[in-house]
Amino acid sequence: MTRLEKWMSTLLVLMLIWLCLVQDLLNLGYSKKFHDVILSLPVYLLVTAGSYLLGTLGFRLANFNDCEEAAQELFMQIQEAQADLSSKGLIL
Amino acid sequence: MATRTDQVVGFGLVVFSLVIFIYYTIWVIILPFIDSDHIIHTYFLPREYAIIIPLAAGLVLLLFVGLFITYVMLKNRKPAKKTN
Repeated sequence: MTRLEKWMSTLLVLMLIWLCLVQDLLNLGYSKKFHDVILSLPVYLLVTAGSYLLGTLGFRLANFNDCEEAAQELFMQIQEAQADLSSKGLIL
Repeated sequence: MATRTDQVVGFGLVVFSLVIFIYYTIWVIILPFIDSDHIIHTYFLPREYAIIIPLAAGLVLLLFVGLFITYVMLKNRKPAKKTN
């Protein structure tokens, strides 16, 4: 199952549940206030997802880090490769 | 390392998103169950705007993303044409 399919099926299930609630297929018989809240749930989901993504973005930005160990390792590997190549007669 | 500005902007974004989430939750989920003459209703716009504002903001965002992509693609196409 690809990532797209996973998200699509989740959204489909949520949409079906929401439609059941809006049409009151289970005959729960809730009041007008509850119905108003249920009607606005998709937009609420959108706003929640948006603010979560914005928060994640901000948090990752605040904790952005250099990878000094990886840079060191890469530098070592470049030097190793250069030494190996020049020992085989390649002029760098 | 993340500089001072990065940290300020990053945590500013976190706080901003939390404020949006809490305000919107109160507005949409909790407010219908509070009496309509309660003082808290003066701090919120009418309920229709809880739907209209996010949709309008989403449309504007999509518009800007589209404009940006169009701009970048047009800008990247010109040098390729000159070499032909």
